[in-house]
Amino acid sequence: MTDSATTPPSQPMAVLPGGEVTENGPMLAADGRPLKHSLNRALRREKLRAFLLISPLLVFILVAFVAPIAEMLFRSVENQIVSETLPRTVAALREDQNLPEAAPGEPVYEALYTDLFIAAEYKSHTRLGSRLNYESTGLSSLFRGTGRDVGRFDTDIYTDQFVEAAPALEDPVAWSNWMADDEIREALPFTADAWDAWVTLTVEANEDDPLEEDVEDFVYTALYRDFANGASPSGFPDVDVSNFESVSIKALFEESDEDWVDPDVWQVIKTYSPNYTDGYFLNSVDMMNGPGGEAEWRPESEQIYLKLFWRTMWMSMAITFSCILLGYPIAFLLSTLPLRTANVLMILVLLPFWTSLLVRTSAWKVLLQQQGVINDTLVWLGLVDDLNRLQLINNATGTVIAMTHILLPFMILPLYSVMKTIPPSYMRAAKSMGANDWTAFWRVWFPLSVPGIGAGSILAFILSIGYYITPEIVGGTSGVFISNRIAYHISSSLNWGLAAALGTILLALVLTLYWVYDRIVGIDNVKLGG
Amino acid sequence: MAGLPPYASTGQKVWHYSYLVICAAIFFFLIAPILIIIPLSFNAENFFTFTPEMLALDPEGYSTKHYRDFFTNPDWQVPLWNSLKIAPVATFLSVALGTLAAIGLSQPHVPFRRAIMAILISPMIVPLIISAAGMYFFYSRIGLQGTYWGVVLAHAALGIPFVIITVTATLVGFDRSLTRAAANLGAGPVRTFFKVQMPLILPGVVSGGLFAFITSFDEVVVVLFVGSAGQKTLPWQMFTGLREQISPTILAAATVLISISVVLLVTLEVLRRRSERLRGMSPG
Amino acid sequence: MAQGSSSEAFVEFERVQKSYDGEKLVVKDLNLSLPKGEFLTMLGPSGSGKTTCLMMLAGFETATHGEIRLDGKSINNIPPHKRGIGMVFQNYALFPHMTVGENLSFPLEVRKLGKSEREKKIARALDMVQMGEFKNRRPTQLSGGQQQRIALARALVFEPELVLMDEPLGALDKQLRETLQFEITDLAHRLGITVVYVTHDQTEALTMSDRVAVFDDGRIQQLAPPDELYEKPQNSFVAQFIGENNTLEGVVERIDATSCLVRLDDGELIDALPVNVSKVGERTRVSIRPERVESNLERLHADAHTLPATVQEFIYMGDTFRTRLKVAGRDDFIMKTRNAPDQPRLKPGEQIRIGWLAEDCRALDA
Ligand SMILES: Nc1ncnc2c1ncn2[C@@H]1O[C@H](COP(=O)(O)OP(=O)(O)O)[C@@H](O)[C@H]1O
Ligand SMILES: [Mg+2]
Repeated sequence: MTDSATTPPSQPMAVLPGGEVTENGPMLAADGRPLKHSLNRALRREKLRAFLLISPLLVFILVAFVAPIAEMLFRSVENQIVSETLPRTVAALREDQNLPEAAPGEPVYEALYTDLFIAAEYKSHTRLGSRLNYESTGLSSLFRGTGRDVGRFDTDIYTDQFVEAAPALEDPVAWSNWMADDEIREALPFTADAWDAWVTLTVEANEDDPLEEDVEDFVYTALYRDFANGASPSGFPDVDVSNFESVSIKALFEESDEDWVDPDVWQVIKTYSPNYTDGYFLNSVDMMNGPGGEAEWRPESEQIYLKLFWRTMWMSMAITFSCILLGYPIAFLLSTLPLRTANVLMILVLLPFWTSLLVRTSAWKVLLQQQGVINDTLVWLGLVDDLNRLQLINNATGTVIAMTHILLPFMILPLYSVMKTIPPSYMRAAKSMGANDWTAFWRVWFPLSVPGIGAGSILAFILSIGYYITPEIVGGTSGVFISNRIAYHISSSLNWGLAAALGTILLALVLTLYWVYDRIVGIDNVKLGG
Repeated sequence: MAGLPPYASTGQKVWHYSYLVICAAIFFFLIAPILIIIPLSFNAENFFTFTPEMLALDPEGYSTKHYRDFFTNPDWQVPLWNSLKIAPVATFLSVALGTLAAIGLSQPHVPFRRAIMAILISPMIVPLIISAAGMYFFYSRIGLQGTYWGVVLAHAALGIPFVIITVTATLVGFDRSLTRAAANLGAGPVRTFFKVQMPLILPGVVSGGLFAFITSFDEVVVVLFVGSAGQKTLPWQMFTGLREQISPTILAAATVLISISVVLLVTLEVLRRRSERLRGMSPG
Repeated sequence: MAQGSSSEAFVEFERVQKSYDGEKLVVKDLNLSLPKGEFLTMLGPSGSGKTTCLMMLAGFETATHGEIRLDGKSINNIPPHKRGIGMVFQNYALFPHMTVGENLSFPLEVRKLGKSEREKKIARALDMVQMGEFKNRRPTQLSGGQQQRIALARALVFEPELVLMDEPLGALDKQLRETLQFEITDLAHRLGITVVYVTHDQTEALTMSDRVAVFDDGRIQQLAPPDELYEKPQNSFVAQFIGENNTLEGVVERIDATSCLVRLDDGELIDALPVNVSKVGERTRVSIRPERVESNLERLHADAHTLPATVQEFIYMGDTFRTRLKVAGRDDFIMKTRNAPDQPRLKPGEQIRIGWLAEDCRALDA
């Protein structure tokens, strides 16, 4: 063995035969490619492996949870129902010049006739009616009523006159041949459209064979429109319609319900005819699209949502504040007691945490009743008159009391986990420097525990503003939150778009707080249990 | 906090004892509403408060008739069984997928780790009513609304954050040199996983599973929207009872649920102690 | 010895490099070979790449370039669990959910040994580290030193021929460390195993090893038995790192095969042994051990060059005297003399002359 084993550090690194090492220039791996490359490849493999482990869950969450949330967001602006149910009317309204001063012209009514006829067969007009009813009351019955009438409109005069002029026009087989001819279709656009709609309708809704059915009146009405516009396609029976007895479709609609000539009704239809709308969001903040199309406030009596949001916020703040007030002393006590005692007392915090929400809510419902244990006790103690029992439930008081109880563990646990990390020597040091108990606490302990207060408050507040069950049961009408209104719109009023818009606003609020929480505490620092 | 020093002034003493009284009152507030349910559930009458007989400790004032109702009435038994059919399957899904993902997330190089974590934890943060609304819309569209599997999937999604949180917490403390030592001693990756890694993260997995179970077992809002009458669960039945006509059987049901919570809490505490002992965090 | 192609080489690193990020090499061109039964220590400051070398040998990191051979066969492509190398981790890495016995049984179960054979080997391994009665304890119920012993037993129980130890005594107190140092070397020699031991503690390296590899900046600066390392440091890093050392800087004035003359920066001339210098005019840093500095000039050659020095501080240390001198503009020059009757006790401010034998003063790289 000799000293030659060492490489003097001053000697520059040699370029080795494989061309692998150079002090400057890219480092190469054994296969001659840049080392960075193969390291990146190894890193990618590692990332891929981690990703493979995560991906089943990620896919699951995306499908089972994120997609539903996205669907809800979509529903808050989605408004295809008008343009899907009344496609021709929506197109005709675009051309119309009469609105908003007067009712639209005849072409719009002709389009509406076809649309409504088809919608009535599919029974989709009632859904459209209830949708538009959210925007202007009365539209639901308007659609329902005319939907019943539209099949009996006096348009059969066209059918009769056409068949009389050219009997071949009665034959669905002949029709189907004509309608297979592109030239004829081009010459008779309304007819072709109406024919296609009728065929689809017959096959889909009635499950009949169109070649064996009588062609419906609205197809002949469309044919009349085409001919009246001067069409005369070759290969199609040539009928002179100038002497035909005609009927105003607009008048037929007016006869069915005179609201159909009300420009305001048409304005609503027009405002909600685009595929996407801000209407639900405006509604969520007590606004609406006015007749001119600009957003305006709803009438005072219909303004409820801003008040509800505001109530949700301040009640959540009240609940959070009472949680701090009750949670801080407990967390302080637990963190200064010997570990063994603290663990025992911790059970008193964890048992409520683990007890079913329904159980706790039931307990409060039972306790807070006017004939409940609390009032009984107060009466027995003579603090309250038997005839004057306290109203503790079905109002905001009930919600705040019950929710404070429910969320208190969520405040105590983060506070405790922060306080446990404050070394007792800090307080001792402060006292050794002459601080009294209060100063030592206020100047040393309290500032160190503030992160715990922050974490607990955000958590309690986030959980609180989205609560549904407890306010629903103990909140009556004055103690309910925005969540309860959302639930009402989903299951009772069926105004899903509005529910979605309210939900989206609430979600935005919560996610902002979630983001703040992540910044301050870090989501992976959330602790569960002791 | 442990006792007062001999030199404490009167003011300090007064403050010290009033502080203890305040704490006792808060503990009372925390625990009393739950405990009071238990004697009330043995009420012989259909009242929600203590009858004079009960206060006089007269055996006549007490009865188990609400429990009899709970355990025989199909109005309660069917939901109980539905809950017991839904919760374990949802828990299994959450635990299996959640544990895998938590292991993936604890690898050193995970792209978008923070974002993925945020998505996986979000079911815990997003208000239930919003999750329920979205799931109602979306599940109706894909034909899962009102089905058993719809409710199971929804509950599994809600349980995931708890599994992720508890398992990653166990993995954070996991010493990588242990898996290296196992490899060095000759164990292949599979054996290393099952013999070394799995036993050590098991307490986290089990407590995550308990959280997921209780989440599903207690859940009302989502099941109200995603489920149909066929999936009516115990909390749903309680909720209907509380909202419409409240029957004292609800107190018996609540007491049964409290017993379940106590069992879970004890299990969790045992697990926590065990896991701390394994990691040498506290002696004995 | 260096280019490890000798036939008895048991572990060989050949031109091994390692980079974690593709930009910076943390191990640069490592060549090392050790014969069976050798106790080799890797010594170096923290971050010099020792752990990385060990991890490459154990298979937990892959070399970016070069080859690692075990018993003549390349192990680059063998996964860690098939290498059969024992290892003691710095934090012991005892499985907390298994008892001591189960920990030791683990490698034997993996190797599919029968129950009775396992029991025999476990008992023997535990006796070897004097932990026989702790078989049923959990690792957390043991003290640090006991855990260390169990970790050692676990690394040895499956009778590997090569054992790696990464700062195994780092977490223990001084007294326990010394006991265990002795036990480990004793055990290694008794069992005839080859050991690669990592430490940053030079005393540990010097007392335990057959040879020491001094690491710095991803390179072996010197590989030599402990005495040679101390007496004949090959470059200024090793001279500084091992033991106490005085350095002076200057330029080579005259040079031949066995000695050279160095002009210090303040103009004085000194004699030195050329180690890392080859031509006149080169800058050099000379290194002299404090105990080789002579103030009794009669003990030197008549024509030896000497330097003026001012006493700054005189410390009585029982068996030796430690004198801090101001020499050639530096006031951290240490002279160590034996406490002998003829040795004067110097006073601060006293002016003396010092000198040394040319072979004790090594002219190294600047
Ligand atoms: N996994 C790793 N990724 C990136 N760099 C690393 C890694 N491990 C070690 N290093 C870097 O490699 C160098 C050598 O580290 P190491 O081998 O641990 O040194 P030692 O054990 O001698 O203290 C250090 O600069 C360290 O920062
Ligand atoms: Mg190291």
